[in-house]
Amino acid sequence: MSEAASTALLLSARVAFWATLAILPPGIALGWLLARREVPGKALIETLTALPLVLPPTAVGYLLLRLLARDGPLGARTLGFDLDLLLTWKGAVLAAAVMALPLVVRTARVAFEEVDPRLEGMARTLGLGPVATFGRVTLPLARRGLAAAAVLGFSRALGEFGATIIVAGNIPGRTQTLALAIFSDMQVGRDREAMALVGVTVALAFAALWLVESLLRKGRARR
Amino acid sequence: MSVRFAIDLAVPCEHFEVAVEWRSERRALGLFGPSGAGKTTLLEALAGLRRGVRGRIEVGGRVWLDSTRGIRLPPERRGVGYVPQEGLLFPHLDVLGNLRLGAARAGAGERRLVPERVLEVLELAPLARRPARELSGGERQRVALARALCSSPGLLLLDEPLASLDLPLRRRILPHLLRVREEFGIPTLHVSHDAAEATLLCEEICVLERGRVVARGAPGEVLTDPERSAALDGGGVNLLEGRVTAIAESLARLELEPGLVIEVADEGGLEPGRRAAFELRASDILLALGRPPGLSAQNVLPATVEAVHLPGAGEPHAPARVTARLGAGSRRIVVAVSPRACRELALAPAAPIHLVFKAQGCRLVASF
Repeated sequence: MSEAASTALLLSARVAFWATLAILPPGIALGWLLARREVPGKALIETLTALPLVLPPTAVGYLLLRLLARDGPLGARTLGFDLDLLLTWKGAVLAAAVMALPLVVRTARVAFEEVDPRLEGMARTLGLGPVATFGRVTLPLARRGLAAAAVLGFSRALGEFGATIIVAGNIPGRTQTLALAIFSDMQVGRDREAMALVGVTVALAFAALWLVESLLRKGRARR
Repeated sequence: MSVRFAIDLAVPCEHFEVAVEWRSERRALGLFGPSGAGKTTLLEALAGLRRGVRGRIEVGGRVWLDSTRGIRLPPERRGVGYVPQEGLLFPHLDVLGNLRLGAARAGAGERRLVPERVLEVLELAPLARRPARELSGGERQRVALARALCSSPGLLLLDEPLASLDLPLRRRILPHLLRVREEFGIPTLHVSHDAAEATLLCEEICVLERGRVVARGAPGEVLTDPERSAALDGGGVNLLEGRVTAIAESLARLELEPGLVIEVADEGGLEPGRRAAFELRASDILLALGRPPGLSAQNVLPATVEAVHLPGAGEPHAPARVTARLGAGSRRIVVAVSPRACRELALAPAAPIHLVFKAQGCRLVASF
């Protein structure tokens, strides 16, 4: 593998790792909320978290760009300091995180819905408070589904293109992830390099999906 | 003096409201009734797992619920040991893990029941490391009971712990329930729709029908009450409990009280010197005015008619129910006969009578 390709692969992995780490806590919290609680505005929360799934990624990227631009609500002039996200690898993390969140929330929600609420009630009668019940019963029972949520989120972040190119640009060695590198190689006619990168992404995606399937299948077999 | 058990509740449920007022100083309470009467709903309300419950619950001197004063203890502070019908074991833990989670409440100082001791009493020690999802039905029920005991509850709530089990398994688990009662002395509310089981395990029962209390009292009296017994299997169920004194030729002698002995079939599981309980259906007993000669039935017991209850206009298919007092008079037996037989024998209160039944007519409930 060429040096440029391995740089792109490492950067993609780093971006996807931090994006996954960043969205797991809110993703799990939202998934639990949607699965277990009747809160006002639940339908709105549901729709908002699903939005990045159906919007063109470039539209999401553009919204993020406007949000972070100098004059935007999170821009340097409004906040008084610079978040330094635009055109950096951290910007790529943000774009990937936003795009991957819906998958994590949905998978986490299903994971929680598959836990029998009567088991949680049982734990309460045995003296466990709501927090201890979540930690000792709900989480362990949902753990495979939550692991699947993390892998899916990671894979989605790994392949992110549209939002990333708008927020982080396509700077070789700095913000050029695998998906962006394939695009660049193709544009200048480096077909062999592009094909090699495609091979890498296929292998990664295959491994991730296989892992998710086996996690979910075993989770079901245990019930 | 603290009240042991006092409730006055209204619990909304799907088709009707379950409304129960009940006050008792007994330790072994039973909730009896057909399925759909609201028994499980009431248990869940006691455990704190139901919403919209109104009224008052006081157990062992502590108020769990008083909706007029805005008191409502969450389930984790009530200290109940709830054993639901399905057991509801934690599938991600092994047997000991389930018990330890149950023991989480009981602090080190006040903990009365250690998991190891409970495992021993319920004969579960060999299963300690078995994952919960690999257990059989009977094992699951015993582990659920053990888990509830480990939480050192102030009140045990048992929801038909034997209903899902076949007869041989029931006979094996019932002695454990009796043993738990004797060993740990925990106040218990036992839900059942089996008359023999309720009579054996409870000191006082409350009969529930469509969310309402229709009778209350000692199970031996309530469940042989001719007013009610038509709704039960075989026109009513009698529980005969005593000590096995001898076994010969596949027949066992069961001494119900000094001087009152019956013959029952021995299908295994009986031992001289041990106690056993048998179920005898009201429809399996014959009445005779005198002692009939040349009879294959092994039991002919003199008794006194207490009451004769002819079926009313509203129950055209029901038999007549005759109650009789046996022995010293403390034991009531209910017998189902046809209304014509009642007339032909001219049965009336205080008439001397003989109860005739086969040894095989007595079905073993438990030997303990």
